Amino acid sequence: MSQLDRELEHRARDLYVRASRDVDPAIAGRLRAARRTALASPHESSARRFLLPAGAFAVIALASLMVWQPGPAPTPMQPVAASASAAPTDLPPDADSADPALYKDLQFYSWLAYNDTSGSSHR
Amino acid sequence: MEHEDGSKDDDAEKAVNGSLALGAAPLADLRDVPANMDAFLAGIERRAWRMAEIHLGNREDAMDAVQDAMMRLVRHYAAKPAEEWTPLFWGILRRRIVDLQRRRKVRSIVVGWIGGGRDDDGDELPAWEPADDSPDPSARLQDSQAFGDIVAAVRTLPRRQREAFTLRIMEGLDVAETAAAMGCSDGSVKTHLSRAMHALRIQLEAWR
Repeated sequence: MSQLDRELEHRARDLYVRASRDVDPAIAGRLRAARRTALASPHESSARRFLLPAGAFAVIALASLMVWQPGPAPTPMQPVAASASAAPTDLPPDADSADPALYKDLQFYSWLAYNDTSGSSHR
Repeated sequence: MEHEDGSKDDDAEKAVNGSLALGAAPLADLRDVPANMDAFLAGIERRAWRMAEIHLGNREDAMDAVQDAMMRLVRHYAAKPAEEWTPLFWGILRRRIVDLQRRRKVRSIVVGWIGGGRDDDGDELPAWEPADDSPDPSARLQDSQAFGDIVAAVRTLPRRQREAFTLRIMEGLDVAETAAAMGCSDGSVKTHLSRAMHALRIQLEAWR
């Protein structure tokens, strides 16, 4: 059994090697030409191998930056009157952003703020 | 596909792989480490073409497969150590052969759909095969009939068994190299090869 298998293997291999050696000249010539073409083709350099991951990383980083755009830090909402209540000598509130009604009683609010702080300091 | 008697399988595998260890000498001169890629391809190109022809049954398709395998090896693996080129090359060529076989199958199906698989008289058309009018080089061999017989027998094997037989027995790769080229485990190679040998023993009984 094993001897017969060995014969089969030897014969198959021998026939294959001989048939490969005896390919017709036209095929042999085309194989030589194919080899030259392959060897003349540009090789993939090791530097080029790293270009793709580096490019992918750059694209991901850029996309992350575009998605994550830090806006202005949220400021706590303050009542408009608070800026006027700091001290009677402070500048008046900004006319563009302040409530127009505030200007009507500006002197009253200043007096109130002054008395409130001085009253609390007396306690 | 599975054998009923696992012990017989094991015995057959041992016999196949044991006999291969003794029979590896004839290809030893073909397995020297090549000096460069040119020498490697020059040494392997004719066997590669013959191997592709065995699997594809067509000289032009075989040429395409070998040319593509050479290009891919040079382009992607030229920087690898020369010792690794052999299994890499056979692996690339094997995948290219499978691609061409699948493409041919699809073409055959499409032609069948378009033509309906029948001629004007209602007779069934033959399956589409690419034209191959070139002279058969094996006719120039003294024992071309013997080679034709074994090629015909190998072509009847299932694909994985055919790959295991041609790479392991004909090309003389060791089990690990065959496994790398086939993309499977060493055990799978042994199993496929054992079954291939079993089928070929029956088919080639008269040949021996």
